[in-house]
Amino acid sequence: MTLPDWLYPGWLDDFLWTYQNVIHSLGINGLLALSMYVVLAVGQLSLGQAAFMGLGAYSSALLTLKLKLPFLLVLPASCITPMLFAFAIGGPTLRLSGVYLAIATIGLGEVLRAVYLNVDYFGGALGLSGIPDSAETWMIYGLLFAAIAVLWLIARSGVGRAMEAMREDETAAQMMGVNVGRYRMGALLASAMLAGFAGALSAHVSSFIGPNEYGFEPAVTILSYALLGGIGTPLAPVLGAWILTLLPELLRDVTDMRSILNGLIIVLAVLFLPNGLLAWRMRRIAAPARPR
Amino acid sequence: MLAQQLTNGILLGATYALFALGFTLMFGVLRVINLTYGFYFSAGAFIALFATRAAGMPIWAALPLAAIGAGVIAMLIDRLLLSRLNRARNPELASLMVTLGGVLALYSAATAILGSDIRRLPPELIGAEALLIGGVRITMAQILILIATIVLVSGLILLLRGTRLGLAIRAMAERPDAAGLMGIDTRRLASLVSFLSGALAGAAGVLIGLNFNAIQPYMGEEMMLRGFVVVIVGGLGDVRGAVIAGLLLGVIEVATAGYLASGLKDAVGFCLLVAVLWTRPSGLFGRSAVRRA
Amino acid sequence: MLRRQLLAAVAAISGSAALPAIGRAQGAPIPVGAIEILSGPNAAYGVAIKGGLELALDEINKKGVLGGRKIALTVEDSAASKDQAINAARKLIGRDHVVTIIGPTLSNEMFAVGPVVNERKIPIIGTSTTAAGITDIGPYVFRTSLPESDVVPVTFKKAQSRGAKTIALIYANDDAFSKSGFDVMKASADKLGLTILTIETFGSKDTDFSAQLTKIKGLKPDAVGISALVEPVSGVLLQARQLGFGKETQFIGGNGANSPKLGVIAGAAADGLLVGSPWFIGKPDAVNQAFVTAFKAKTGTEPDQFAAQAYDCMFIVAAAIDRAGAAEPDKITPALLKTNYTGVMGPFTFTDHRDPASTEGVVVLKMQGGKFVIAK
Repeated sequence: MTLPDWLYPGWLDDFLWTYQNVIHSLGINGLLALSMYVVLAVGQLSLGQAAFMGLGAYSSALLTLKLKLPFLLVLPASCITPMLFAFAIGGPTLRLSGVYLAIATIGLGEVLRAVYLNVDYFGGALGLSGIPDSAETWMIYGLLFAAIAVLWLIARSGVGRAMEAMREDETAAQMMGVNVGRYRMGALLASAMLAGFAGALSAHVSSFIGPNEYGFEPAVTILSYALLGGIGTPLAPVLGAWILTLLPELLRDVTDMRSILNGLIIVLAVLFLPNGLLAWRMRRIAAPARPR
Repeated sequence: MLAQQLTNGILLGATYALFALGFTLMFGVLRVINLTYGFYFSAGAFIALFATRAAGMPIWAALPLAAIGAGVIAMLIDRLLLSRLNRARNPELASLMVTLGGVLALYSAATAILGSDIRRLPPELIGAEALLIGGVRITMAQILILIATIVLVSGLILLLRGTRLGLAIRAMAERPDAAGLMGIDTRRLASLVSFLSGALAGAAGVLIGLNFNAIQPYMGEEMMLRGFVVVIVGGLGDVRGAVIAGLLLGVIEVATAGYLASGLKDAVGFCLLVAVLWTRPSGLFGRSAVRRA
Repeated sequence: MLRRQLLAAVAAISGSAALPAIGRAQGAPIPVGAIEILSGPNAAYGVAIKGGLELALDEINKKGVLGGRKIALTVEDSAASKDQAINAARKLIGRDHVVTIIGPTLSNEMFAVGPVVNERKIPIIGTSTTAAGITDIGPYVFRTSLPESDVVPVTFKKAQSRGAKTIALIYANDDAFSKSGFDVMKASADKLGLTILTIETFGSKDTDFSAQLTKIKGLKPDAVGISALVEPVSGVLLQARQLGFGKETQFIGGNGANSPKLGVIAGAAADGLLVGSPWFIGKPDAVNQAFVTAFKAKTGTEPDQFAAQAYDCMFIVAAAIDRAGAAEPDKITPALLKTNYTGVMGPFTFTDHRDPASTEGVVVLKMQGGKFVIAK
């Protein structure tokens, strides 16, 4: 970024450099929170976001390292593998509901992790290193705001109304003519796409990825973003992500307390804020009155 | 060598079954995915650790003490976390999340207070040498686990099917509202089930900690993923299923590591999990879930 | 403002009560940063390293560097999280303006942090990172820890000299350090002509190794090489004894076994294990014994290899700052390359590629009764 000097003084430069990783993480975790939001918005507890992120990260890293493609090509391509995977497993997996779906997606994530570990092409335990620093801040935040905008528009529309209906009572929604199966697959694919982008961006800002970064614990962290923020609007889970991302930085000096606080926040959020922090609901364009 | 590997598998499987008992009970009766279960497992192991090291208790006293202690802790924490959730719109998700947050906080607090070092129970507690039975090596701790699993499973089944209390528990599992109308105090019963589940976890913690000789605050966490596999494959809420699924998982894992490639050992459990979920999600022994019309 | 912040940070974080009031008249203290794992599992390594660094700091600051200036050490916790390690590095450089960074603890973390620090042309020195490829990250990345490729062959040779002809290898395949150690073990075995009978793996968090061990036992190897961190190594040894492995099988450990915790967790099961180490608590020279005594007095525990390496590293950094003549990273880096220091680890110089040059100090140790002794 080359801005004129008076606009970009030395102390700002230092500040931005110091917190560059935090700034990037806020954007990337925002995208992950949105990938959680789309599946929760149709009432599915799919916890595959970390696995999709891993697929995006590994596929993009391999494209960059082995095929030496430029990042502007690699980034859009990074959503292909996760979406293909989502499509492949979607059939049998989406028939499950509630807790079973959650566990199935976690199981799939662990199977993928075993693949990364045992197949040498993916680097095994040593992972892939030397990934160039190609993801820029504008790419991350551009994608994030675009995603928020698109999801906001969808949520305000009839599609959004159908999603909310599914969330409240799936059987009733089905009786009202909502094609439940198609919405579920659509949500899963969207989730895979967003998480795939997040994975590619994350890989290209931290120069090193390993198989242990996309397992059970990251999946749970992503869930907690949506839990804290709520899923009333697309902004809510992003807010949850930002709070939970900033917390370790703000609590830098209180290392032991950090995870304890993290856990306590989740408990308090569930017990006292069942709708999350931003408990708005979407105001929707009213459907035109049907002729009786 | 086949005999030894088979024995290895059965013993490992007994470990998994023992761990899964309380977990499946909690879900089957209270319909709660209780992630704090792993913490009660660790708690039982630590109570036994202090009882034997600081107070010099022998194993046959430390084990029940640890179980009761873990049961009480479970009762208190579950009451704290779960009692408000009856009114939640989606109690399964809510219980998953609140116990998740709870267990995160609890593990971190335990690690902060106790440190993350691995500790051992006093080696004199139980003979570490293996007995040689018919060409197969098996240690006292492993025999103890087998015995404990058999005793606890029988006791549990006896309780559930042969006593009035068990009847009340099963009634609550089927229809909590009807059970309440029949005069069953569901809140007290829920506490009791928490206690039982926690006590089972604590007992498992002592025995498994004794066998693998590695006690640290996060030990419950590492068993939980396997625990999921066992309870899902066996059918949530089915005690018999948990035992059979546990044994099955143990034998499959050992067979994979011993005869195929040891790198696949961890993955095979999850492949089994996904396969079961895709074909028969209620598990091998669970009742087929009826979709609410 | 920065100085006051720095003092507050040092007081709170470095915890070194022995630091006297920083003499303002003598020139500002020189900021040096360290990133170690201070919480969570694996914190034992980071805490030991911090102990070694602080002990050395106390001694260095008695005289100071560059004519009496003190070194102010800020230790950040990475909690074994790649993200936090990166944030810590950026904070140390961007806010605290450190002239050198020591750490991080694990090779995994170095792969993430190294490029960031290297980009800013600030020297970073790993004291405990032994995987392959660390110093390939860039010209500002150094390490004082002997890579496994220098230590393991010595141990294997010792086993071979005791009559081992066949070997089985078992390692943790989900941890970069362990996998890297295994690669070295395999290469050493091949080079020495040992026949590898089988290669088995397990997960770092596993507690049951009976399947793999039973298989190995069936093949009756002369030696078994275990590459993993100390807790799984202990678990493997305990179960191996239960399954009937006796004195006829020589167990060999990689750098993960080089920890007093092995004796604590595995007890008698670890007796007879061979492990190569660049350092040994019983080394009789005066410098080492003084270090051991001082460490015990200050922390109440015995030092391990990680503390010893950190201790030497702090002195190496101080010497480089003196040699550079200024607290400036671009002068310190070439000064580091000229290091010629004899400490508790023995004589130390860097190769042109910024790795330790001398492998003279490597000894082969044997575990006996919970303690390490020199293997004959």
